[in-house]
Amino acid sequence: MSEFFHQYFDFTVMGDHFSEVLEGFFKNLLLFAVVVLLALLWGLILALIRQLPGKKFAPLRFLTIAYIDVLRAIPILIILLLISGGIPYLEFIPKDIRIPHWFGQPDPFWYSVLGLTLVYGAYMAEVYRAGIEAVPGGQFEAARSLGMSYGKAMRHVVVPQAVTKIPAPMLNEMISLLKDTTLASVVALGEAVLVSREILAESFNSSAVILAGAMFLVITLPAARLVDVLIKRNQAKVTRGAHIEVG
Amino acid sequence: MKKTRLAAIFAVLLLALASVAVAGCGGGGDSTSSGGGGGETSSESGGGEPLSVGSDIPYPPFEQGKPGNYTGFDIELMEAIAEKMGRKAEFQDTSFETIFRDVAQGKFEAVISAATITEEREQAVDFSNPYYLSEQAVLVKEGSDIKSLKDLDGKTVAAQQGTTGLELAKEELGGSEIRPYPEGPDAVNALKAGTVEGVIIDAPVAQNAVEKSGGVEIAEKVPTEETYGIAVAQGETELLEEINKALKEVEQEGTYKTIYEKWFHLEPPKEIESETHEAE
Repeated sequence: MSEFFHQYFDFTVMGDHFSEVLEGFFKNLLLFAVVVLLALLWGLILALIRQLPGKKFAPLRFLTIAYIDVLRAIPILIILLLISGGIPYLEFIPKDIRIPHWFGQPDPFWYSVLGLTLVYGAYMAEVYRAGIEAVPGGQFEAARSLGMSYGKAMRHVVVPQAVTKIPAPMLNEMISLLKDTTLASVVALGEAVLVSREILAESFNSSAVILAGAMFLVITLPAARLVDVLIKRNQAKVTRGAHIEVG
Repeated sequence: MKKTRLAAIFAVLLLALASVAVAGCGGGGDSTSSGGGGGETSSESGGGEPLSVGSDIPYPPFEQGKPGNYTGFDIELMEAIAEKMGRKAEFQDTSFETIFRDVAQGKFEAVISAATITEEREQAVDFSNPYYLSEQAVLVKEGSDIKSLKDLDGKTVAAQQGTTGLELAKEELGGSEIRPYPEGPDAVNALKAGTVEGVIIDAPVAQNAVEKSGGVEIAEKVPTEETYGIAVAQGETELLEEINKALKEVEQEGTYKTIYEKWFHLEPPKEIESETHEAE
């Protein structure tokens, strides 16, 4: 038992390597920050295409649904391996784009950004869609019967209501995303897990890995609590007889 | 309605089936590892019980192949050694970074995984006599301007996590961006894809990459005076003696030479037979 604590909870090892692991963790946070912005946008685009009405857009809708389903059905690890191993071979793409070193970040960073954005865009599209579909159909019909165009009805009536239902599930996706940034270790991005496993290889002690886990906890635990608060607040709004906050 | 319910039942059944299959595999793995734990006592008698051996597969040509059908220099050598001990080697694929911890904890009895004998590692495990003398190779793209290790300084360089190649890169290439990949072939792939300009890896692995994958060449071989050993948990003196004795027999009978030539297309170095390793 003491062997177990020595192997995983050696605070001396944690202290000695704290700054290295923290530096790795900042890579996770940076990756998260870039991906979350791109994925929120990409997801919204996907969700809106999916809602487009009429026969004219049927092929586009079909493609979008296929994309969302397939990207959610493949392990992210495989997508990352495919992107980091495959894109450099696409010689019709200029080398600076094929093997990007933008803003001082190495190519594994950008491959991870691309992979995670593609996948999390699909996940987040589903969250947007759930929000849009949760708005009662009568709202849309009423807006249309008042003479609003499809776009106007979506923009002024449906989307503003949908947005109130989205924060909690979206925050859940973000928590998952932050954790999934560790998958970038497979393409040799020096993030917290890779750094701490490197320390493990040198010191034969796993405590740095636990330290990395603790750093994630500091962010993800309060975020999980916030999800609960958001859910409660939303419920209060829609529960009959509840006090409704304005604004 | 009925249709969707049927589909749902089908999906649930499918998932259940998959999880049972997975649990079955997991159970198999567990039984071999618990055999490893029990092996502590049985190794004294050496009475035909399987010898559980950990190895990080793939690392061709040392270890390669699919579960149940592993092969390679290490694998065949270990099989020959185990046979001399009157036991049958059973291999477990495991990750190199945790391999020494795992053998120390008794997850398996021995490790053969192209593992260089180092002082650091000897603090965690005991090593057999060396069974292989190794060099590090600087692997580059065919026709590259890089002709030596020094030429790589300032370039992007790949190596495998937890290996001596990575240590060498860190020591010698202060100006480089060094990328530790989880597996050796990942590093070679990154070289072929052009995202790194050199890979520092064990010479035989580099040689194998040159032969099998093409498009890459060895720019320089760096002698490291490294030797590979079979690792066992500390204090397993009897098991270690048995392994050393068996290794010697395998070498004297010429089996070692046969296996060496089969996998490296080279004669084994003369020193390997005279080399003796001081076990601490």
